[in-house]
Amino acid sequence: MTGAAGPSPDYEVALVSLNQWQLAWRRFKKHRLALIGAGIFLGMVAIAIFGPLFVPYDPTFVPVPDSQFCPGSTTQLAYSGCPPFTPGHLLGTTGSLRLDLLTLVVNGARISLLIGLGASIFSAIIGTIVGGIAGYFGGWLDNLLMRIVDIMLSIPILFVIIIFAKIFGNGDWRVILIVFAIFGWQGIARLVRSLFLTLRTEVFVDAARAVGVSDLRIIFRHILPNAVSPIIVSTTLSVAGVIIGEAFVSFIGYGVNPALTPTWGNELTAAQDFISQGNWWWPLFPGLAIVLTVLGINFMGDGLRDALDPRSRE
Amino acid sequence: MLKYIVRRSLQAIPVLFGITVVCFMLMHLQPGNPADRFAQNPKITQAQIEAFKHRWGLDEPLPAQYCMWLGACGDKGVLNALPGGNLDIVGLTIALPGGDNGVLHGDFGYSIFDGQPVTTIIANRALPTIILALTAYVIWITIAFLAGVYAAVKRYGKFDSTLTIFNYVGYSLPTFWLGLMLIAFLSVPPLKIFPASGMWDARTVPIFGTGDYWVFVGAHPIDAFVDLGRHLVLPVLTLVLVSVAGDSRFIRSSMLDALSQDYVKTARAKGLSERRVIFRHALRNALLPVITNVGLEIPFLFSGAIATETIFSWPGMGRQFLESVGHNDYTVLMGILLITSVVVVFANLFADIMYAVVDPRVKYD
Repeated sequence: MTGAAGPSPDYEVALVSLNQWQLAWRRFKKHRLALIGAGIFLGMVAIAIFGPLFVPYDPTFVPVPDSQFCPGSTTQLAYSGCPPFTPGHLLGTTGSLRLDLLTLVVNGARISLLIGLGASIFSAIIGTIVGGIAGYFGGWLDNLLMRIVDIMLSIPILFVIIIFAKIFGNGDWRVILIVFAIFGWQGIARLVRSLFLTLRTEVFVDAARAVGVSDLRIIFRHILPNAVSPIIVSTTLSVAGVIIGEAFVSFIGYGVNPALTPTWGNELTAAQDFISQGNWWWPLFPGLAIVLTVLGINFMGDGLRDALDPRSRE
Repeated sequence: MLKYIVRRSLQAIPVLFGITVVCFMLMHLQPGNPADRFAQNPKITQAQIEAFKHRWGLDEPLPAQYCMWLGACGDKGVLNALPGGNLDIVGLTIALPGGDNGVLHGDFGYSIFDGQPVTTIIANRALPTIILALTAYVIWITIAFLAGVYAAVKRYGKFDSTLTIFNYVGYSLPTFWLGLMLIAFLSVPPLKIFPASGMWDARTVPIFGTGDYWVFVGAHPIDAFVDLGRHLVLPVLTLVLVSVAGDSRFIRSSMLDALSQDYVKTARAKGLSERRVIFRHALRNALLPVITNVGLEIPFLFSGAIATETIFSWPGMGRQFLESVGHNDYTVLMGILLITSVVVVFANLFADIMYAVVDPRVKYD
């Protein structure tokens, strides 16, 4: 696809050649929801990176305990926390310790997003390697690897993640990231395998093999670039799943330690006890952050699917 | 056809086998082994610990231990359990329940935490999970089906757009957080409508599953039913809201697919009423992938249950699982993991076979 001009020299047509990524970007731009989603997601990333510099408190800051009243209020709310729009606390505070919720939510974004992105990318790498090997070489290796995938897809993986987090977890977010990475690659492996199964029969693979290109080079330089779009879409959507999964595991207390690092999940753990006291804002805001991020990722993922793989459109 | 069913069933065997291997390995990841409980006991000598280990096969290599755990290599031991027989140790006789050991005998050992047989614990917790999951399942499939089909028939209509937005949001809700929010707004004053936790009202109803409970159900069936229903509302609502999203989207696209087929055009060209085209021609074909999906969703009933049961203190298997995680009760954990995995394998098998049965176009080779 070169941008050669037409056969007639009488008039000039400016032909712009676009590579497939530019074409994809054009399609993506037309997808309104996808742009909104990308905006939400990038906004969250920006909050995660820069937000903690701007919020008024430290996430572990404990306000002066002797005040029985919320700022600007005469009602005694000290135990169940101050409601949203209390002066100094836009989103209100938590119960008991009265930590500033805005500070917590903004600081939680860092680790929640880091685990979501990190684990998904690691899983995608593992899944691509396993699926690629299985699909390219076929035979007993394919059979073995796919049975392993079958087994892992049959076991409710959340259960296994919880057990692993309990055995190996020490509250460190990096351990949780790795646990989610280890158990998140099966879907992508299956996808990549099926892509490789069809791609390896293409003529360009035969051609590469005929001139003596090594298997490894064929896999990574010849086949993989053709399979990259579905992998990107699937990885994007899996970020949403990991964020929700991490939030739950941290919520039940086997994930990231709230005393070390706040995440949207572990901020909800203690909130449960204060719901009956009428504190609805504490569980609301960290959860809304999760929902908004996941919604953004899902919009973006669907847009990417339409942009990168136009054939798969409904 | 029969050949396909047999072949497909045979394929499930290595997967089932692999599941037992994974469960066994997970169990071995836990630090320590059953003999460690004697380590702090000054009355027990090292020789006795060795004897204990030998008696229950703990000194054998891992593959042999696995085989014994399965129950395929003799009765020597279920190393995950308090093993059978009596163990006489100076000044301390530990009465240990015995039996036909091994997973293949349906024996998952005994809880490390309270010594009850794992099968008893799971059996007690299965019914609440089934009640919750099944109620939610029936409701969400019905709603998803009606909504999905209607949205597809009136494509790009108001309902369709609303459903699309609802689906995106529903799909993005963490189950446990939705549960928390429902509690915060529907079971806390000012709107204290539904109970926030539990499965029965402890003030008026005996503990679920006990003999007293069934006597109570016999004596006051309506009260018992209403009580259960009230406690079911919020957990069921949680599961339904989250699950309708994915399913109605799936059913919608399946129906759209069917509506774009040539036979639908033919039916319309023949002059059949739109009603007949939709219900007799499109819908029947749209149902095929839905049937498969129904089977494939059974795993979610368990993993979805773990979040819902935690939030609403529902005494089911998901909650038992988390309690056992808290107690490091690995025998119970493995029992739950093994049983749910086996259910998943059979659900997948069932879905595949059902698909072959209802769709004559499926190739059996």
